[in-house]
Order: sequence, then C-alpha cells, then structure tokens
Amino acid sequence: MKYLLVLPIALLAAPAVAQSTTPAELLAQYSTKAGAEASAERGQALFMADHTGGKPDTPSCTTCHTADPKSAGQARTGKPIEPLAPSANPERFTDLKFVEKWFGRNCNSVLGRDCTAAEKADVIAWLASL
Amino acid sequence: MTDATSTRFAPSGEPVRVWDIWVRLFHWSLVASISTAAVTGFILGAQYIALHIASGLIAMALVAARIVWGFLGPTHARFRDFLRKPAEILSHLTGGDTGRHLGHNPAGGLMMLGLMAVVGLLAHTGLAGLGGAMKTGPFLSLPYAIGEAGLELHEVLALLLLVMILAHVVAAILESRRSHENLARSMVTGIKESRPGDHPSHLARAYPRLALLVIAILAGAIAVSLRQNTHAPAFAPVVELDEIFAEECTACHLAYHPSLLSAVEWREIMGGLDEHFGEDASLDSETNARITEWLISHDASTAQTRPAHQFAGAREDPTGSITETRAWADLHESLSERTFFRAPIYSKSNCSACHADAETGWFSPFQIRISKETPR
Repeated sequence: MKYLLVLPIALLAAPAVAQSTTPAELLAQYSTKAGAEASAERGQALFMADHTGGKPDTPSCTTCHTADPKSAGQARTGKPIEPLAPSANPERFTDLKFVEKWFGRNCNSVLGRDCTAAEKADVIAWLASL
Repeated sequence: MTDATSTRFAPSGEPVRVWDIWVRLFHWSLVASISTAAVTGFILGAQYIALHIASGLIAMALVAARIVWGFLGPTHARFRDFLRKPAEILSHLTGGDTGRHLGHNPAGGLMMLGLMAVVGLLAHTGLAGLGGAMKTGPFLSLPYAIGEAGLELHEVLALLLLVMILAHVVAAILESRRSHENLARSMVTGIKESRPGDHPSHLARAYPRLALLVIAILAGAIAVSLRQNTHAPAFAPVVELDEIFAEECTACHLAYHPSLLSAVEWREIMGGLDEHFGEDASLDSETNARITEWLISHDASTAQTRPAHQFAGAREDPTGSITETRAWADLHESLSERTFFRAPIYSKSNCSACHADAETGWFSPFQIRISKETPR
C-alpha cells in the first residue's frame, strides 16, 4: 500500500540520471497507476489509429515508427529510428527517464496531450507481446 | 625562327608559318580549359568545384606562359607584333588601314590582351573568393567580405569573358570571309598564305630555352610563396561538439552546427522546442539551459565560414528553417526538387546525406557528393 503512494511521486520527479527498468516492470507501474489491467488490443488500436488532436505532420505513431514495431522506423528528417518492440530491440523500455521523455514528446505531437498511464500501459503491453 | 624570316621574302601565295607550335598549343589548351571552367562554373553544381578550380588555374598558367612567350617568342607570337597604338586600332576598325596583317590585326591584338587580362582577373578573383569566403587555398587569410566580393566579381568577369569569346569567334568568321582564308584552320596548322600588300613584320627570333627558364622560375616562386601560406584560418567553427547537445539533438537529426545561426535565433529555437518544426522536442529545463548556453557561445558570430555568413539572420520567418531561406535555395538551384525526397536523403534537412562535413559547420564545396538513389 505504501509504494502506491510513492510511485506517482517517483514518476513525476523528473530524475536526472538514467533509471534502469524492464518492460514488465514499467507495465506493472503504469497499470498500477492507472488502476486497471492493461490491454494489448487497446494499445495496438491507439498505436495504429490516425488522430486529429496533435500536430498536422504527425497524425499517428506509425508516421515515424511504421505499422510494424519490429522493424526500424524513420524520423521526418530521414534519420532511422530503432524498432520499438523489445523482441527486436532489447534496449527498449529499459530506461524510465527515456521512456517518459519520449511518451511526453510523442503523445503531444500525435494526440495533442499527455498520454494517460492506462494508455502507456496498453501500448507497452502490445509492444512487449510482439 | 626561319619561318619568321621567310615571311618577308616569301613570294605571294607561298605558305608561311605564322603561328608557332607553342602559340597553337596555348590557344587550343586555353579553349579546352576555359570550356571546362565555363561548363563546371555555369552549368554543373558545386560538386564539380575541384575540376572548376583546376581548369581555371590551368588557364591562368597558360596565360602566364603566353605572356612570357609574348616577349621571347618568334615574330607573330610577340606583343610587339600585335599590340598597336589606339590610333592604329581605330584606323583599322574604321577601314582606314586596308593592308592585311599576317599575325593578329590591331583589333585582334587588343582582343588578345583583353582575353588574357580577363582570364588573369578571373583566376585572382576566384582564388580570393576561395580564400576569403571558403577559407581554402593560398588566400585564406583574406577577410570574408573581400572573398564574397571576389566571388561576385568573378561571376561578372565570367559573363564578360563569354561575351568576349563570342565576339572573338564572330570576328574570326567575318575576317575569314572578308580575306578568303580559314583563320581557324591557320590556328591548327600554323600556316597562312602570304599575299602582296601584307603589312611587313618586325622579325624576331625566339628564345625557347630562356622562355622555359623564366617560366620555371615563375612557377618555382609561386610554389614557394604558397608553401609559406599554410596557416589555419582564424575564426574556425568550434570543432568539439558538446556531449549533451550531440546526444539530445541527434536523436532525430544531424548535429546542426552552432555556427549556422545567430545567438538570437538559437534562443528562439531552444525556447520553442514544444513546436520544433512540426514536432514536440521538449527538454527538461536544466538540459535545455545547458545546450542553449553552448549553442550561443559558439554561434555564427564566432565563425568565418560561408554558411555562418549566409544563413545566420537569413530566415525571413523566425520559426522558419534554413532550407526555406533564399540563400539556401540559390545554393541548391542546380538540384531537382525530388532529389531531396528520394532515399537515402529523404529530407532537405538531411544535410549530411550529401555534405560529408555538415556537422563541422564548414560545408566545403570539396566535401559534396550527391547521394545516389538507393531502394527504400
């Protein structure tokens, strides 16, 4: 019970150093924060959908990450992006600060708002299942 | 030499060697080198700069050698044979002088002098531009503004040279018709036909060995003076990139060098990362402050490069990109629009796809290689 109170503070506290973690650990943390079971199906739907609330050049996660998270994506600048699925890229979801930075940026670019803990849990659940 | 002596005594209708082998070699080598310099300069893009400079320098060297030959060569190679007083040139042009000149006529002689002068000025303005604006070559310590002025003048002179060459060719055709002889062929064979009423020539013997010696001494003197001028240019763009800058900024794009923009522009960009060219690229405030500080302390005012002068402060719209500036468009006009979007370039912002030294801030014309299209 006590760690439930500490977790949100830890997540908000913008840590200065890399914080190593695992996809499973992150999934557990976001699910706990959301207070609901994560769903890989909902995660896939969010990832694949075209959204309208964000910036016009980036309507979907797939704009840069492509529809196949096991293969490399490409930034609008032409620079390659390493695959998102941990099965294809073991570096993914192993650094909390990095994960928070990119959810923060990309949710704003695509949705025009922050993602909820439930949405983050759903997307990680789907990516980790691939 | 014997050819020259024969001109006076040759009976009319006799073939006479007017242009010695060196004058002819000079003429056609100059045609080849100027053509190469014109095609690479006017038509082909900056990636042909090395060929452009080489052909221009060869033209300059040919002219220098020709000037020596103008004092030490045989009769018709000499300046004395074809450089006339203004009154004589005027009289020739207005039809007052009807005699035929075996060598260059007075107007032709003036054109020779003009062509040599313009080629010489082209070489010097080109080298001044290369030194002052691009910080390469023998004149790299020239101030940037002088280099830029040199390049502007270089362009004007190049157009002038084209007009002069056109006039030279037209004059040769008209004169060939008028005097019923093929002047272009004479410049290949060296032979003309002597005729009654030809202007007598002031005979001169050639000193080929002395000429070679003078040319060798000139070449040696230039080589020695160039060797003494190899110090690094002042105001070079910062070499070592800040670690955090490189790590954060290269997550999505190449490390745009701090010398490409002014401090004011870097502040605008770093203050608006949540709207960074269509994406949210926010950083935590501590990281942002550190990168901003590093960028503005190595901004365009610290570097004497061409991009620093052309791009900093050039963005019409403060949120706009370098690729939307007029200067950028002018520099890339030889490329088709679709070149930028094909693999492996993908985007105009991907400078390093073609500029190997993009991340150094130099953008040297010697470092350009347009990426070949690859399958996506």
